[in-house]
Amino acid sequence: MSSSRFFSWALKAYLLVFFVYLFLPLVIMAAATFNESRFPTITPWTGTTLQWFSALWADGGMWNSLINSLMVAVGVLCLALPIGIASALFLTTVDGRGKSFIYALILSPLLTPGVIIGISTLIFWRGWGLNGGIALTVIAQSAFIAAYVMLMVTARLQRFDRTLEQAALDLGASQWQVFQRVLLPYLKPAILSAAVLAFLQSLENYNTTLFVAGYDTTLTIYIASKVRTGLTPAVNALALLMILFTVGLAMIYEFKRRREAARRLG
Amino acid sequence: MWQQLRRRFGGPLAVAIVSLMGIWLIAMVLLPQWQMIDYSFHPSLLPAERGGVKDVWTLANYATFFDNDIHLAIFFKTIWSSVLVTALTLLVSYPLAYYLAKVATPGQAALCLLLLIIPFWINEILRTFAWYIIFAFRGPLNELLLALGWIDRPIRFLNGDTGVLVGMVYAYILFMVFPLYNAIESLDTNQIRAARDLGAGWGRTHRRIVIPHAKPGIATGCIMTFMLAAGSYAVPALLGSPGSRWFTQIIYNWFFEGGDWNQGAAYAFLLLVLCIAFVSIIMRVFKVGLGDIAK
Amino acid sequence: MDGRVSLSQVAMRFGDFTAIQPTSLEIESGEFFSFLGPSGCGKTTLLNMISGFLTPSEGSVAIGGTDMTRVPVNRRPTAMIFQNLALFPLMSVYQNIEFGLEVRGIDRQKRRRRADELLELVALGGSGDKPVAELSGGQKQRIAIARALAVEPRVLLLDEPLSALDLKLRQHMRTELKAIQRKTGITFIYITHDQGEALTMSDRVAVMSEGRIQQVADPMTLYRHPQTDFVANFVGENNRFPGRVMAIEGDEVTLDAGLSAPLRGHSMTPLEPGDSATLYIRPEQWRLGAADDRCLPLAGVIQTEHFEGAWLTLEVELNQGPMIRAQVPQMAAGADTQVPLRVGSACRLGYSSRQAVVLAGAVHEPTSEEVVDVAATA
Repeated sequence: MSSSRFFSWALKAYLLVFFVYLFLPLVIMAAATFNESRFPTITPWTGTTLQWFSALWADGGMWNSLINSLMVAVGVLCLALPIGIASALFLTTVDGRGKSFIYALILSPLLTPGVIIGISTLIFWRGWGLNGGIALTVIAQSAFIAAYVMLMVTARLQRFDRTLEQAALDLGASQWQVFQRVLLPYLKPAILSAAVLAFLQSLENYNTTLFVAGYDTTLTIYIASKVRTGLTPAVNALALLMILFTVGLAMIYEFKRRREAARRLG
Repeated sequence: MWQQLRRRFGGPLAVAIVSLMGIWLIAMVLLPQWQMIDYSFHPSLLPAERGGVKDVWTLANYATFFDNDIHLAIFFKTIWSSVLVTALTLLVSYPLAYYLAKVATPGQAALCLLLLIIPFWINEILRTFAWYIIFAFRGPLNELLLALGWIDRPIRFLNGDTGVLVGMVYAYILFMVFPLYNAIESLDTNQIRAARDLGAGWGRTHRRIVIPHAKPGIATGCIMTFMLAAGSYAVPALLGSPGSRWFTQIIYNWFFEGGDWNQGAAYAFLLLVLCIAFVSIIMRVFKVGLGDIAK
Repeated sequence: MDGRVSLSQVAMRFGDFTAIQPTSLEIESGEFFSFLGPSGCGKTTLLNMISGFLTPSEGSVAIGGTDMTRVPVNRRPTAMIFQNLALFPLMSVYQNIEFGLEVRGIDRQKRRRRADELLELVALGGSGDKPVAELSGGQKQRIAIARALAVEPRVLLLDEPLSALDLKLRQHMRTELKAIQRKTGITFIYITHDQGEALTMSDRVAVMSEGRIQQVADPMTLYRHPQTDFVANFVGENNRFPGRVMAIEGDEVTLDAGLSAPLRGHSMTPLEPGDSATLYIRPEQWRLGAADDRCLPLAGVIQTEHFEGAWLTLEVELNQGPMIRAQVPQMAAGADTQVPLRVGSACRLGYSSRQAVVLAGAVHEPTSEEVVDVAATA
């Protein structure tokens, strides 16, 4: 019994340390926003200020890169979602020889380092006269984000009851009507989650984007360059806003999930 | 395969599905990789010289690598450090994954998972930047250690590999926790109870019951973490120093500072081969297939 | 509306495996027709060929006199009730029922009017706006029927639709289905492994086994005059006596089954003395008498006794013979026979030779379907 209790306490202590490890860096980073010091730190605290928010607001480069990032993310949605959904439909429909090879091929972008995806995309498209920039970034990011979309959509498709399709066909629907009226509505939640994930993945990507962005600096590249040259707490202000945005999204998601769960029970 | 698709979706939709997948796999995955490999076996030439007499198949780009002691050292250091990161991440993640899967109530587990995800929705650069602040020469960590009297003068954490290791474990922990959690969660709790009931201690229960069951999850987590660590650019760039360069940084330099894409392609291919080798070894050692990894 | 279904020499092969042997069959317009058989007998394959989910490897399928063999499922005048009902979970009751009309481009008002009529028909008027998830099992069943009827099919195909319901509801739905079929006059083709369902609802039943139709007949004929050993044992219960033909008079056959007395029965097929044949006696056809009742030809000892309410089921070991099952009405067991029906007591048995069936060929192996729902067939 005593060993059991010891392990239980050890586990709790461990959890505490773990979550401190997880969140303390974020808290410190956020706190540094309000320090007057020109270098982002909390030691020493030279005075409380909100000036770094206005500094961020006035930073034209940041706004430019944010717009680029959003354009890339929207582009990725337009490219990676259809590809991922199509691949999920393909994998859950066919079987036979060659399927496992195609499956391995589809998964390979997930097992390839991001820099390699960036590099190969850069090299390949130069041959077609397309150089680094927003378009190339969309292509490179979609190459692996599509695989994430595929996995999420496949997970839901595998639970789909195929007799619903048969029933719709039997009632006279065309295959297109079956797809659009029965299968797509069923997939909608998975597609939405995949869209959110793809959007966030695109926004936060650095390794791949680094090679293909050309002169169209994205937000992550902008932040990284700021950290190395001209670092001020304005970067922290940006980080804080992004954290709040994320936590907000997470809370909305959690709230919806709970309501959904409650409705299912009720 | 085509027949199956057409029967389910009808001609036009089946064509759309196959084309989308074809464009993806051929134009966005296979051909670019092929082109990169092809590039690595050709010398760097001016546009005018391409296709000319100088455009020959060569191993020169690889010879450059094996002749360069510094690059070789960095390559092996990248492997070793990535293995270390992977092992550390596994060690840190296992208790947490076990707690989430088998100890926590469903409510607690959902809350913890949400807490875990939040830092990972914030991008890698900012996560790393947070550690940059902590590790700074006059940053909070040094101040704390000084105040506690454990050190006499500040340590330059950002000069060695410590910062890079800590930052990487932090950056990739989720990719280890989730596969582990999924694997352990699927274990029937009664098996743990039965082992305990038969007199096995905690250590033995984990060694004999939980860990063997979680093998696919461990393999997936290790593969993902190693791949991310070896291919990381942001963490070593921010938390490392010129003395602790990562292989990806060398690749970047060939492309954007050396301007020799062919040379860079060769280095990139070496990194790819390294990752493929690691994936194959792990899959062999843990006896798992690709299907297990994608869960 | 012509709802005739004609199968001519249809066969289905999946690689080396033959799911359906070449089969021909005519189903009349407005008929309630059932395919009865154990799982894996090919009845679902046959249904899928009629609905169009499968294209036969050979032969043709015609509905209402028109060849449908190559017509895709969504252009056939059939509608199917699926085993799991396959109601669209994300749609309301109205949307489910109107689906077939909507995809045909019928306007909203007409659709709604038709849906309301159908809801009345299945006694669920006013529940059109409910999500289907909120319906009970029986209600879902009715909505599935309404949805299928909405497209005005000439043939309604039902794939074991009652198997998911509990016993009470299942029996109630039998009556209901039959009533709906009478009201609409549509051809119903019903698939089931439950002979109770097949016998109570159908005008005619096709018994299937191993990809082959064994017999097509109305329920009464099927029960009284089985034509194959499989039917004799699958539909209802039977005691089987393999033996050799001794004499024939008209259609009455005398058989030596190695018992203390020869057995008599009638045969529909021509037999010769010396042929091997099998005689079938149903448990409820036995008459039991006291041990000294010389009018009854066979003697035996009661081994077990099961009280089943209206019936008493006995297992009797015949002298120098096999164990047989007999069923006697509970009332008769007490009053009329004056036989002490106790385990261990000797008795004599007889039966009316008009009711015993003789089929050609001797079958010695145990019955393929020992477990049968006797109460349901009675």
